[in-house]
Amino acid sequence: MRSAVTAAARTKDERRQVAWAQIDADGWRDWARDLKTHVLTHLDDYLQQAEQSLAANGCKVHWAATGADACDVVVRIAERLSARSVVKAKSMLTEEIGLNGRLEGAGLAVRETDLGEFIIQLLDEPPSHIVGPSLHRSLDDCRRLFHERFGTALDASPETLAATARVVMRDEFLDADLGISGANFLAADTGTVALIENEGNIRISTSIPKVHVALVGIEKLVPRFEDLSGLIQLTARSATGQPIGNYVSLIQGPRRAGERDGPDEVHVVFVDNGRTNLLADPEAWEILRCVRCGACLNTCPVYRQTGGHAYGWAYSGPIGAILAPGLLGLRASMPLPFASSLCGACAEVCPVRIPIPELLVYWRERAAAEGLTPALETATMKIWATLSEHPDAFGVAADAVGALPLDAVGRRLPVVRGWMEERAAPQPSRERFLRTWSRKEEGQ
Amino acid sequence: MTHAPPPSVTFLATCVADRFFADACWDAITVLEHFGVSVSVPLGQTCCGQPAHNTGRREEATRMARHTTRVAGQAGAVVLPSGSCAGMIRSCYPSLLSRDTSLKNGSIRERGAEETSTLPDRVRELSEFLVHDLGVLGRRWSDSGEATPRLGSGLEGMRVAYHHGCHALRELGVRDEPLALLRACGARVESWDGDMECCGFGGLFSAKFPEVSAGMADRKLDSLPEDVDVVTSADGGCLLQLSGRAGHRATGGEPSFTHLATLLRRGLT
Amino acid sequence: MSPRNRILGYVRGATASRPRVPHPGRFDGRFLAGDDRPPVDRFVELFLAAGGEVERFADLEDAAQWLYGFAGDFESVTVGATVPGALRPHVPSTCPDLATLGISHALAGVAETGSLVLDSRDGRRTQLLAPTHVVFVRERDIHHTLVGAMVTLKADLPSAVGLHSGPSKSADIGQILVRGVHGPGRIVAAIVGEPGPE
Repeated sequence: MRSAVTAAARTKDERRQVAWAQIDADGWRDWARDLKTHVLTHLDDYLQQAEQSLAANGCKVHWAATGADACDVVVRIAERLSARSVVKAKSMLTEEIGLNGRLEGAGLAVRETDLGEFIIQLLDEPPSHIVGPSLHRSLDDCRRLFHERFGTALDASPETLAATARVVMRDEFLDADLGISGANFLAADTGTVALIENEGNIRISTSIPKVHVALVGIEKLVPRFEDLSGLIQLTARSATGQPIGNYVSLIQGPRRAGERDGPDEVHVVFVDNGRTNLLADPEAWEILRCVRCGACLNTCPVYRQTGGHAYGWAYSGPIGAILAPGLLGLRASMPLPFASSLCGACAEVCPVRIPIPELLVYWRERAAAEGLTPALETATMKIWATLSEHPDAFGVAADAVGALPLDAVGRRLPVVRGWMEERAAPQPSRERFLRTWSRKEEGQ
Repeated sequence: MTHAPPPSVTFLATCVADRFFADACWDAITVLEHFGVSVSVPLGQTCCGQPAHNTGRREEATRMARHTTRVAGQAGAVVLPSGSCAGMIRSCYPSLLSRDTSLKNGSIRERGAEETSTLPDRVRELSEFLVHDLGVLGRRWSDSGEATPRLGSGLEGMRVAYHHGCHALRELGVRDEPLALLRACGARVESWDGDMECCGFGGLFSAKFPEVSAGMADRKLDSLPEDVDVVTSADGGCLLQLSGRAGHRATGGEPSFTHLATLLRRGLT
Repeated sequence: MSPRNRILGYVRGATASRPRVPHPGRFDGRFLAGDDRPPVDRFVELFLAAGGEVERFADLEDAAQWLYGFAGDFESVTVGATVPGALRPHVPSTCPDLATLGISHALAGVAETGSLVLDSRDGRRTQLLAPTHVVFVRERDIHHTLVGAMVTLKADLPSAVGLHSGPSKSADIGQILVRGVHGPGRIVAAIVGEPGPE
């Protein structure tokens, strides 16, 4: 599984590099950072403007303070419609709030229609990547799964498997009572819900069922319809290296008089679920610029080793590690902010220039201040700092490290133990440099 | 043409190199002195504070930053045989020394001499100093026709893989400098697919998440070009990680892991 | 307090003391800098690169002639509401979920992304359900940039706009690219030159 994740992440990262090389990536990223920051510093205005625009388009607007509230809104809509079946477009927000479980608990049949989400739904697994949810599963895994579920051959081609999924889901699309999506962006002036994808399932989920519900994180707003153009392109180039997602839906509301098809009702649910807390944070609010492109996952050497499931919740990789303390709380997120070597590769690829390594350190500082780190580590750092202020004592301690028979006792020492599990003991120099230097100076 | 006085620099060995790469510290000084630089080594130097900073101990990191700033003096370049510690000083000290030291006590701002210190501007990783401050790559002959000290060809025929430490690369922007120096000394720097990927050291990260960290080192080692004689880097921490992992795997035929300063000293001859 | 007012209150509280950052202005897609070709050329290049097919016609008559031949290979067709009468082939028309060929008329094209701009007034199912999709677009409606197309679109937005930039694709099965997962696996951009259909 590790090799599948590593290979997929590397490929995506290479595609992003090519796609960025074709544009003035720095200029585009500055623009995107400034646009998102503008929105986040004027968010109350844009939320109210969006509410009015959506209403004028005939959409029904709902507000949900928590994930549970958002789920309740959707369940109430489904109950009013006596809905039985739901088709879902891929949405990280619905993963975040656990919508599927809630809908199924209310007796609804829920179908994830993104092919990757479809696969992991059949496997009963959470997504392992923001953009490629089934990225940890190989072709052979899929062959076995489809063989068991749909009777395809064990050596079926990817095309055959995809065609099978298409047929299975086509009837579900046509019969669904409710289509549920997230939103990549929402333009405040026109009330446009913007959705990016490659398969067409989002377009179908939002076009065919009689009712479409879009769950929208409050940070997803952009001021103007035309602002979408830059963000849509930059997101695609960062996520998959494409100039644009294969399908972009720009939805202004329900079917209008004279239109042949489209939903009769469109609901937009604005979801907070911790975002206003994050917005209030003096440092971490910048995380809310995130466009969920997954570029930081693809380039992250830790993610490439662990895959997404190791992060233990909907969002993985560097962005998941800094978002978790903001949305789940710091205590519940431990040790994610520490699960990084702080190599900085993520900051180099973030299209909206979120200072991810600095924010990892910020959460670590908060965790240390709140006593959420191991007591031994705290004590060690205090001693280390005090020693550092006393060079003579520091020197004696450093000499002692050199004298320790690490090969023999290292496995019993805290911290060193972690090192020794996977590596040979480091070989100290026979004598420290500063000792030899001071002797030389004395000799002169 | 005026003759500038020979530059003098302050050398901070860094605690990792002091303890584990003592020879490389001497080698760095030999290289600097070869180019006419006078080197002073403050004996009060200890740790730059990066371990505390990276584990979120802001207060402790700030104390160590203050100490290092006091030790490093008021003027002249401060040269380190480490991109990571130099990056810590350049990128993190300004904020550590000017911002609140206690998150609980947000209103207290401690302002002192350290806050206005120029250390972050004066700090240099060794190869960065050699290339940009001394201009050793451009050296041919002085205007008077006198031969000035130059790099030698002591690395002729050596096949080297260079690991870009993350902080040298991303905080200092040091990328081509070490490669150019190695090549100028005759080394053949082999292309290495994973040369700019993290080795997985990350200070305490390597002990807190040993398996992930080791996997990252494996990725580096597995992508090494064949028949490399030496793996080198401007950072001792990365070399400990890579050599420690290679020693643990003991697959045989490992290259040697040698600090950049040592190779450059060998390159002088 | 309603969730609405509570959320808006929190947002105001969170941002009250934060310096406000101005809007950075209209996105300037500098990607096209130095490319002084007509937009249709760039459109064709990108649409082909994304796996789409392109047919180009001097005028409507040409296009119609081609379509009658092309559509002959299909059992049934679904035609968008805004497709000009001349572009309706003599193939049995059926509902979109049964048709093997969908024919649409695009509001516009976009050169910098290789996109066709589809209008819900033309019919969404026709654009999505048939395995093959032919989209007519007038050459003069192809904009250089997406922002340019969007500014034009904004004056008269339908309930939904779809930007289609190639065949439906997915790499979710073992990272291997396959076509036609949900949307049409085959898409033809049929570009009609001047004089355009009036």
